[in-house]
Amino acid sequence: MAVATAPRPAKRFRRSRLYTWGTILPVLALVALFTLFPFVYAAVNSTRQRILTIPYHQPFVGLKNYEQVISSDTFDVAVRNTLVFALLTVPTVTALGLGVALLLNQRVRGFGVLVALVLLPWSIPLVSAGIMWRLLLHGNFGSLNGLLLQLGIIDSYVPWLSDPDLAMGAVAMAHVWREFPLPTILFLAGLQTITPEILEAARLDRATAWQRFRYVTLPLLKAPLLIVLVYETMIAVSVFDLVYVLTGGGPGTSTTLFSWYAYTATFKFLNLGQGAALSFLMTAALVIAIVVYMRVIRLREEVV
Amino acid sequence: MLLRRRVAFFAGVVAAGSLFSIAACGGNDEAAPAEGVKAAGNLDFVVWSYSIETIQDNIKRFEKSNPAITIKLADHSWFDYHDIMATKFTSGNAPDVAYSSDHWLREWVAAGWLEPIDKRCPGLANYKDEWAPYAAEGMTLDNKLYGVPYYADLVIFIYNDKMVKQAGFSGPPQTLAELQQQALAMKKKGIAQYPINIPMKKDDPWAIEFVYSMVYGDGGSMFNKENAPVFNEPGSQAEKVLQWLADARNKLKISDPAALEMAEPDVVKAMGAGRHAFTILAKYNLAELNLGQHKQKGNFKMALMPGSTHSTVGFVRFYSLGKGAVDQGDAAVKASCKFMNYFGGKTGGQYKVMKRWALEKGLGFANLPLYDDPQVQQAINKWGDVALERKQAELARVKEGLTPWWGAWDIYAREQIHAAILGRSTPKQALQKMADRWEQLREQHGG
Repeated sequence: MAVATAPRPAKRFRRSRLYTWGTILPVLALVALFTLFPFVYAAVNSTRQRILTIPYHQPFVGLKNYEQVISSDTFDVAVRNTLVFALLTVPTVTALGLGVALLLNQRVRGFGVLVALVLLPWSIPLVSAGIMWRLLLHGNFGSLNGLLLQLGIIDSYVPWLSDPDLAMGAVAMAHVWREFPLPTILFLAGLQTITPEILEAARLDRATAWQRFRYVTLPLLKAPLLIVLVYETMIAVSVFDLVYVLTGGGPGTSTTLFSWYAYTATFKFLNLGQGAALSFLMTAALVIAIVVYMRVIRLREEVV
Repeated sequence: MLLRRRVAFFAGVVAAGSLFSIAACGGNDEAAPAEGVKAAGNLDFVVWSYSIETIQDNIKRFEKSNPAITIKLADHSWFDYHDIMATKFTSGNAPDVAYSSDHWLREWVAAGWLEPIDKRCPGLANYKDEWAPYAAEGMTLDNKLYGVPYYADLVIFIYNDKMVKQAGFSGPPQTLAELQQQALAMKKKGIAQYPINIPMKKDDPWAIEFVYSMVYGDGGSMFNKENAPVFNEPGSQAEKVLQWLADARNKLKISDPAALEMAEPDVVKAMGAGRHAFTILAKYNLAELNLGQHKQKGNFKMALMPGSTHSTVGFVRFYSLGKGAVDQGDAAVKASCKFMNYFGGKTGGQYKVMKRWALEKGLGFANLPLYDDPQVQQAINKWGDVALERKQAELARVKEGLTPWWGAWDIYAREQIHAAILGRSTPKQALQKMADRWEQLREQHGG
């Protein structure tokens, strides 16, 4: 007489699948609610004339919203400004993060305190950081101007945020300050996984410090580097809060970034259709940037 | 491969989630608010952040005399007010009573966010005869009244009398040319590096009103009676004003270059500290400058707007009846009317709240009988000049071109005004772009 003590493989497989889906579905539902729904809603909006001041006339307009935003003057300005901003900030944030991580990896005394200090800018809410930088950089009463004037470096206050040639640099500087801690931590984590023996072997082979960094450390940091580049590019392209607090896209349109343009179309011009079209265009640009990164930094299976 | 997939998935989710939240924030303008969420006697009152403690105290007094009605107050920054209200109204979170402005009246009515009060609160419309004409006009659309005044005021020219005398002048400038002359003299004598600071922060809705005032002051117009732009006509007053502002900043260096990042509170502080001698602001700031804790306190005076006609902008900010009250039904509307009457109308035969604003904060008022109140006269004369204020009020005009698309045009116009002041485009080019945008918006709205 045989007694069945364990479920048959087929039954076990079904149970296992049920468990898998049972645990994944709630998460998927949340993702659908917060990502998929806005995505579909925005897609629908982008193909309709949705202007809040014309609430009872919302015809389907196909790709007209896309055509209108692309042909506007502000679009060219926003694309150019966003590219400049990303080119200014992504390499700087990455290089600074890597540099600080390399320094922290030297096992200096007070390592914990230093890490906490490095993380400080990241822990400050973006809007608070923006207000702080505004008070520092203000062209009439900013403390940076006060300091530079006292040191004799300038002879009158510099309008950092209202000179079109300086405003973008000022916003980029605030962004870099706020953003560099995350790459630092990611690179530091990556550096701490590199066994000292590998570097020691390179040293015995008479590799210089630069050669050790270039041919040993850097290749082993490809994974965090890719994450940093992808993340920082996304943040640079979609940055909004700092522009909102610091310059409002001005003076003129000199700091009007793509995200600010999308915000303006939606909440100031009350044109939801064009705002949605701009969001889609921004996503398309980001997807392209991410694919390019993936191709440039070819990750091999073994780094997983 | 796995890492690449994970990175791609992570990137996709974050990108989509963050970006589309902007697009989806618009909400559904046809969405109805949840019914039965609050009792009809509980009103949502939304204001921009100015003297909140006074508002709270006024609410307390109202609730004391109307125990069946409770008020939930929410305040938002003036700079974000328009955008936040757009979000509130479109997401089905419409307030019952809210501050509004002649800036936005047409836009908000077109969007279906405000209700006319003459039908819903007929008692409030009876005050109309006592309001300054520009204020009544600012709250009226298609012969329907949409509010009762919170305050009505003038955009005025303010100068530091002590600094003007120090520069060797006996009185304030009468024209823009004289203003330039006095500022140059001050700069030369080292009295101020930048004697002029007219705040032009891009995201401050006041900026356009200051430009309008300067154009009006010199006898110009922005739009004609058919709401067609005239500011872009060759040799227009608007062109002259923009050229004057650009020259003052870039050529003569008598205007603070940081004015493009400065709003009202910043300029009040800078003027109070004696960094500048001339500005254009809403009149109530004169009270703050002369009574507040400032180094130059007591030295400030108003003058008629420099120019050939000395006209200026008269504006009104008002209590409006929001869609929220109407959606809740008659009881909520009735409570809202009562509340609006307490704040913008008479209680015990007196404009109590309005008088309080005038006495304590120096806010202007639309209710003309208050000018005859000795207590109000005495209070104004402490920091201003009732006679001159009356004279400027008589010369005041409402903003021209107020249409449902004016709000969207204003945002674009401010960008172009910046470009002209910075010298990035000529005033003529900037004004033409503003006119083109106007026509585009008019067409879009079937105007």
